[in-house]
Amino acid sequence: MRQSDIVVIGGSAAGLTAAITARRGYADRKVLIVRREQQVLIPCGIPYIFGTVGSPQKNLISDAVLEKNGIELLLAEATDIDRERKAVHTTAGEVGYERLVLATGSRPTMLPISGCDLDGVYAIVKDVEYLGKLQRRLETARNVAVIGGGFIGVEFADEINKAGDKHVTVVEVAPHCLSLAYDEEFCVEMEKVIASRGIDIRTSARVARIEGVGKVERVVLSDGSAVEADVVIMGVGAVAAVDLAKKAGLHVGLTGGITVDRTMRTSDESIFACGDCAEKTSFFGGRPSPLKLASIATFEARIAGANLFGIRRENAGTVGVWSTALGGTALATAGLTETMAQERGYDVVASTVEGPNRHPGGMPGAANTRVKLVFERHSGVILGGQVMGDAAAGEIINAVSACVQKKMTAEDIAMFQVGTHPALTASPVVYHVVNAAEMAIQQMTERGA
Amino acid sequence: MAKILIIDDDPDFVLALRVPLEARGFAVEEAGSAEEGIQKVLSVRPDLVILDVMMPAGYEGFDVARAIREQHGLKDLPIVILTSLHDKHQVPYRFAPDETYLPVDVFLDKPVKAEALVKTVEDLLGERREEPKHPL
Repeated sequence: MRQSDIVVIGGSAAGLTAAITARRGYADRKVLIVRREQQVLIPCGIPYIFGTVGSPQKNLISDAVLEKNGIELLLAEATDIDRERKAVHTTAGEVGYERLVLATGSRPTMLPISGCDLDGVYAIVKDVEYLGKLQRRLETARNVAVIGGGFIGVEFADEINKAGDKHVTVVEVAPHCLSLAYDEEFCVEMEKVIASRGIDIRTSARVARIEGVGKVERVVLSDGSAVEADVVIMGVGAVAAVDLAKKAGLHVGLTGGITVDRTMRTSDESIFACGDCAEKTSFFGGRPSPLKLASIATFEARIAGANLFGIRRENAGTVGVWSTALGGTALATAGLTETMAQERGYDVVASTVEGPNRHPGGMPGAANTRVKLVFERHSGVILGGQVMGDAAAGEIINAVSACVQKKMTAEDIAMFQVGTHPALTASPVVYHVVNAAEMAIQQMTERGA
Repeated sequence: MAKILIIDDDPDFVLALRVPLEARGFAVEEAGSAEEGIQKVLSVRPDLVILDVMMPAGYEGFDVARAIREQHGLKDLPIVILTSLHDKHQVPYRFAPDETYLPVDVFLDKPVKAEALVKTVEDLLGERREEPKHPL
């Protein structure tokens, strides 16, 4: 039987990062990745296969990183885990382990409606061959319906629309696209951007069924109207892939992920789990969180990989940080929106600041940037933030996320010592994040006075 | 004693679930069709429903779940839905609980081990206890 100190099942964002972290933390230990896929897609790059990037082959994680980090690779499917003997059964024989990391990812979900199994209806499956088929199908499509107006649905719609010869419609059940991550005013702005690019949006639209003879022809909505479609793409979320963990008798939580503690250890002390397959808890209150993002997966993998032979890191919960971009407009979020915070019962103070991200505003490259921060009124602790602007929004939100993770107060943020430059940032007098904190403090003080 | 209603047209499967559930102190009721299932939801008032998707008329279980939650307003009645759809059709995707389209608490793939199902039921009803190895 082949033997490795550490075996990682899964070679995408979580598995790879767990393996690299394990090698860094335990340099004398052998690390082996057992991976089913010949080629691994960059998960966040999948929508861009259908426009900007051009093909699944141009959206791959290179295996060179394995060699560089001294990680062994076994291309095989793990079929069972013998926890007594500490061995993984694979299609290429048994592999023994001292510590096992499960990074088996997720599977896309499909709406349970009539016609979901018609030819031409696709889920977003992370598989080179499957996406290649979808790409070929799209070449001759005239009408494309994307069901789900979250960031993946919106990005798919925009990339497919770039071909210029298709009519693309986004169908979203909520009153606004992107509303699970952004407050309404940001969603409305982004919907204007989507519409300006020639994409139709149907919001508050529940899908009743998908119709067609042999292949998909239209999506029928519950108000009786129909969206013509020769391809339907479901961007409606994903569920943890836990077949192997269940088979091995590991505890699986009610949201469907493998139960892990804050050290990412499963109900078996020698087995860790991270990424989409692992159960998550919210940073805010500790309830289960269904969020699945590559950035969360790699964060959890850095915890799991570090803790294999001794606890070094703990997971404080999922903050939820991500961004999207359509053309030159970027939208980014971290933590709770104002609406989400209110729904959870926080007494909220929110402040929004808008202005150019250069100074003076006429400097080349200046773009209007809007920053909204959300605080808990009594403690002044930041709960979240949203940024809309140019590409810099993606990095501004990462700074906001650091504030959220460290539970900084509005006062801490107002006292930031920021570096500014006319060609690079907003003015130090009106620096967005600092100013938003100052305005929030003013609101807190006025009410208390 | 918590009451569990099993809605499934396969008597062997119902029996296989009934035994371990009763052994753990649950009272078990059963219904062999979607229509009978909804009637019993209203008459028996179970604490939890276990529902099979593949009734003879297709994806009826999905409709039963929606009827329980939407038409009859039983929004807090826990529903566990069971299916062999994924395995039977070998699809690369999964059906999953969804507030709008599939209002159930847990979606389990058949074959499901009775032990795992009992654990899920106990989780949902707040009756599962674990003895931690360490106090902290």
